[in-house]
Amino acid sequence: MAFVKAQKTKAYFKRFQVKFKRRREGKTDYRARIRLINQDKNKYNTPKYRFVVRFSNKDIVAQIISASIAGDMVLAAAYSHELPQFGLEVGLTNYAAAYCTGLLLARRTLKKLEMDEEYEGNEEATGEDYSVEPAETRRPFRALLDVGLVRTTTGNRVFGALKGALDGGLDIPHSDKRFAGFSKDSKQLDAEVHRKYIYGGHVAAYMRMLMEDEPEKYQLHFSEYIKRGIEPDDMEELYKKVHAAIRADPTAKKSEKQPPKEHKRTVSLGLAGGLLGLNIGGWSANAARRPPPPPPEEKQDPNLSGVQAKVLASKKRKEAMKEFAAKQREKGKPINEPSEQQ
Amino acid sequence: MPAGHGLRSRTRDLFSRPFRKKGYIPLTTYLRTYKIGDYVDIKVNGAVHKGMPHKFYHGRTGRVWNVTKRAVGVEVNKQVGNRIIRKRIHVRVEHLQPSRCTEEFRLRKKKNDSLKAEAKARGEVISTKRQPEGPKPGFMVEGAQLETVTPIPYDVVNDLKGGY
Repeated sequence: MAFVKAQKTKAYFKRFQVKFKRRREGKTDYRARIRLINQDKNKYNTPKYRFVVRFSNKDIVAQIISASIAGDMVLAAAYSHELPQFGLEVGLTNYAAAYCTGLLLARRTLKKLEMDEEYEGNEEATGEDYSVEPAETRRPFRALLDVGLVRTTTGNRVFGALKGALDGGLDIPHSDKRFAGFSKDSKQLDAEVHRKYIYGGHVAAYMRMLMEDEPEKYQLHFSEYIKRGIEPDDMEELYKKVHAAIRADPTAKKSEKQPPKEHKRTVSLGLAGGLLGLNIGGWSANAARRPPPPPPEEKQDPNLSGVQAKVLASKKRKEAMKEFAAKQREKGKPINEPSEQQ
Repeated sequence: MPAGHGLRSRTRDLFSRPFRKKGYIPLTTYLRTYKIGDYVDIKVNGAVHKGMPHKFYHGRTGRVWNVTKRAVGVEVNKQVGNRIIRKRIHVRVEHLQPSRCTEEFRLRKKKNDSLKAEAKARGEVISTKRQPEGPKPGFMVEGAQLETVTPIPYDVVNDLKGGY
């Protein structure tokens, strides 16, 4: 093989400055975070709440969070996987589900702060731009929208969640430019189109189109809807019921499941130790920690140089790894950290 | 051309960020609150250009006299000629750290208060004054062997070097 000049020399690593951990993980935008968290100094310890919306492939997370030096404190949270409690079992990551999650979070925080009687918000979702009016006794609950790393295009689901929270009664500074149904040409929000999206009208339209043109794809794509007998015409009714259920009782229910006694990634120490065979006492089979390197054994052969001894030792370790992995596979157990040492 | 005396003159190293600490500054600096009467250390952060104090105040400690939206007013002593003036400057929070100069005093105050309360409950009178370190107490020297040393008579013949 031709001689290749090493790109990352020792000097490179010596001068390398790592970015913040959450930036390395690609999860936090610090520029935005600084601006969201910074509280006026002459307001001292008054918390500044963020309305955080995050999407995963199968879930929507909406939280009200305030920052502190010890760590961010969550005031209230709502997940779209809670929506089955309110009657919505399918389509948990679409625009309509985002609206429901935002609404659920808003009602929950207001109930927690005992403001839910005063601030009913917008009962009937019309898709028009609605902002809370301050009531007599208390000012409305203010939060700032935190989208994370999402590209804020018109019609994004984060704005669906935002609309839900606004209609729920929270005071979040916003503009209607990014709601679904805003047209760039007329520079106006078409409330009808937005209302369609809130009630899943766009999903219903797609369902109708597929039913006519490609029935097999319809069966494949909307299998869960079909299983529950949800027709495109029922969508609006369904979502109206969900909104009503949310407004009726938004409190969170504790899950009845017990936490598992042993974390599923941990293997008991005896099993690992017995299988390994070598006397490597310093190892712990805890998945979170990489096991420390085994202490060097006495040099059997005084003629072996230090390097050769290390090579021998590493070879022995690799054999042990392979044995352990093979035995785990035999037993059908998951192969965890000690055998997957990188 | 002579060297100028501009605002940030001679601050090339003073205001530069330390090795491998460039870029965004950690968020605790923004989350801290300062009240009037607190002591703060001024340490300029070269990454933030607004609200920077003059280089003289770098490393000084002062008291807070005013709190505004993003900055804090600090009162620092400066010697001008033959007197010390209390100067009032406004500094953004990125260039401040809460000072630990009174930490020891405040802890001692709390401890003394609790000790006094306990003593009152027991009916004793205690003094919580700090005492300076006194002379070391006396001690017996252990394991010493006595060696008697006597002077040897001066031997002119051998000790005088180079003849006499």
